[in-house]
Amino acid sequence: MTLQQALAALALCIPLAVQARQEFVLTLKDHLFSPAQLAVPAGQKIKIRLINLDAAPEEFESFPLNREKVVLGNSEAILYLGPLAAGEYPFFGDYHPDSAKGVLIAIPEAQWQQVQHVN
Amino acid sequence: MSFNQQLRALVLLLLSCNVMADGRVVDKVYHPYVQPLEREFEYRYLYQWQANHPDNNAMAQQFGYGFSVADNMAISVNILAERIMPEDYRIAGYEAELRWMLTEQGQYSWDWGLLFELERQKQTDNNEFTTGLLVEKEFEYTSLTVNALLVYEWGKTIPAEWESEFRLQYRYRYLPALQPSVEIYSGENYKGAGPGFMGVYKFSPTRQLKWEAAMVFALDNSTIDRTFRFALKYEF
Repeated sequence: MTLQQALAALALCIPLAVQARQEFVLTLKDHLFSPAQLAVPAGQKIKIRLINLDAAPEEFESFPLNREKVVLGNSEAILYLGPLAAGEYPFFGDYHPDSAKGVLIAIPEAQWQQVQHVN
Repeated sequence: MSFNQQLRALVLLLLSCNVMADGRVVDKVYHPYVQPLEREFEYRYLYQWQANHPDNNAMAQQFGYGFSVADNMAISVNILAERIMPEDYRIAGYEAELRWMLTEQGQYSWDWGLLFELERQKQTDNNEFTTGLLVEKEFEYTSLTVNALLVYEWGKTIPAEWESEFRLQYRYRYLPALQPSVEIYSGENYKGAGPGFMGVYKFSPTRQLKWEAAMVFALDNSTIDRTFRFALKYEF
């Protein structure tokens, strides 16, 4: 395989266009996540803007979501998730696990359309 | 672009690495992720055996300290020790390492990172510079991690040359404490594969111990029969 072929193969692994993701906001204040239950659509790539309003850093952690993300005090971080299977995905703040707890609820597409319509 | 096309492209890229490295190929399979505020001590152990093989009974250890210097960049310094016979055991060299997370986890189809590593062998006056891609892809409850590395060696007892190494780990995220895996390695005079596992235990919100181990078996006649690797990482 030539170098050109190898570079071409590498380029194929990098998406040329990134699909727009629906964005959700998760806020952390006084070591509590808000909303503590965050509904998102299943089967879609989504983006969660994690806003830490506390002065102390926190680590978003979820084994079911396969994510660990440190967000510094008074800062923001982005979590890129999905497509998720329908279901519940618990998460917690690693530095304050007793208070910072929540669950991401991935809603099946048909149900999600209804929720959007009602809203 | 479908996943199959992406996977085929990645395999083609990795198969293009047809020059191979002199050093030990079996080592940690690096993930492309870096966290801010990361601090850690790490210990790695490797043992090889096959009767009548020049590397039979070879053992290597590494101890290091690392920390993040930016949201997406971490460095570490390591001491390397090794032996073939018990009386040979010595501090063999030093190593500095930089990991650079290029994309956020899940941002694109594959997660990308870079590794830069500079090693100085103090007994032999040889040096080794390693760089390459760290790539990871999530498939529901499993994760595929690939390291495609280029190595430049130079020094008193080895010819200056570019070489390459390939490491792959396919892991099932069963439980935090137990994540079984399969690992594949390719390098100069080395083609091996075998089972492994990794896990993590939290002592407190900010302190945790990660472990990983693998037993790698030869896939051809030029590869030493069995290689065992083990690593412990204390994060705080």
